Amino acid sequence: MSDPDDIDMIAAEYALGTLDRAEREAAALRRTQDHALERAIQRWETLLAPLNEAAPPMTPSADLLDRILARLQLTDSASRTRAAEVVVLQTRLRRWRTGAFALGALAACLVVAIGARESMRLTEPRNFVAVMQKDSVSPAFIVSVDLDTRALTIRAVAADAQPGKSYELWLVNETLGAPRSLGLLRAEGLTIGPRLANYAPAIIENATYAVSLEPERGSPTGAPTGPVLFSGKLVATGL
Amino acid sequence: MPTSSDILNETLGRVASGDRQAFEVLYRASSTKLYGVVFRIMRSKAAAEDVLQEVYATIWRRAGSFDAAKGQAISWMSMIARNRALDEIRKRSSDNVDIDSIAEPAGDTEHPMEKAERSEGLRKLMTCLSGLEPEKREMIMLAYYHGASREALAVKYAAPTPTIKSWLRRSLIQLRSCLES
Repeated sequence: MSDPDDIDMIAAEYALGTLDRAEREAAALRRTQDHALERAIQRWETLLAPLNEAAPPMTPSADLLDRILARLQLTDSASRTRAAEVVVLQTRLRRWRTGAFALGALAACLVVAIGARESMRLTEPRNFVAVMQKDSVSPAFIVSVDLDTRALTIRAVAADAQPGKSYELWLVNETLGAPRSLGLLRAEGLTIGPRLANYAPAIIENATYAVSLEPERGSPTGAPTGPVLFSGKLVATGL
Repeated sequence: MPTSSDILNETLGRVASGDRQAFEVLYRASSTKLYGVVFRIMRSKAAAEDVLQEVYATIWRRAGSFDAAKGQAISWMSMIARNRALDEIRKRSSDNVDIDSIAEPAGDTEHPMEKAERSEGLRKLMTCLSGLEPEKREMIMLAYYHGASREALAVKYAAPTPTIKSWLRRSLIQLRSCLES
């Protein structure tokens, strides 16, 4: 198997995926020690990699991330991280209460632009996500929308439950006039939001999503009354 | 403004330093892509999700070995996903794979995106693929997207397995010389 042509063809079929089980396992083992084979595999993989771009995305089960986090035992350290960030959030809340800052200026609105290249096929899932962050590295809520089913889910990543207060999610779009409430958010885990069936896809896609801190049962007026803590816009996740 | 791939590269960098929240953002940004890659090969939801779990566990552990100078984060992750799925499907390949049961024929995956949306690399690859005979091109697509084995291709194209192997190898060489010309 030392002939350079052999190495090249093993690498080519490894990258294409057509080696049989024994050949594939042998190549996987050998590449860890044989630099020529490793380089040849990388070269072929790079050559064929653009095909992955053309592969339409598909949606796995909603609880898969939780299964992965549990498997990696990341759920415990996650709560420790959250505890540290809650301090930051509380500090900010105190400042808001003293009225030291204008509300608008406090709304961190960093969106992770994850790529808008989307499959053109209508049968493909069209998923969008808005990452609501309080600073450049700490997402607080992640809002996900499946534009086909108009399903809305919100995951709390580093939000802190405020005694006697609730987080409320708003959809803000000029064409609608006033912000529309999308309901209260749980400060931990997943909130399944209302179906956005009443809104046109263009409105859902272009809206700003904002989270305000409201009385426990939500805004009594139907409009945000508390500070807007986070806001963000949706970006496509199709890549 | 940073591009989507810059941000994904940067997020993967934060995952390498053990940032669990970055890992979650990375998952949200890439899981539909990687699941698509894995599902087409595994062809069952349960098997594809098992593989995807292992893929993200690998990404979490090996994020530090990603080198942004060598390529994009999404390509690196797609490669891990594809290789893991292929390892798994080859282990099961004693059961005869029936390619004709593939719900999405290769012809569909061939041009899933509008031309304008394709990257330069994909455009060039598609041009070179179109230089292959239609059957040979289809074999490459079935192998790449659906993990079709030589044996499965032999059944589909009614040719002996060694013949399929030499066709595949010749097609790959032709592809490479076209791409590198």
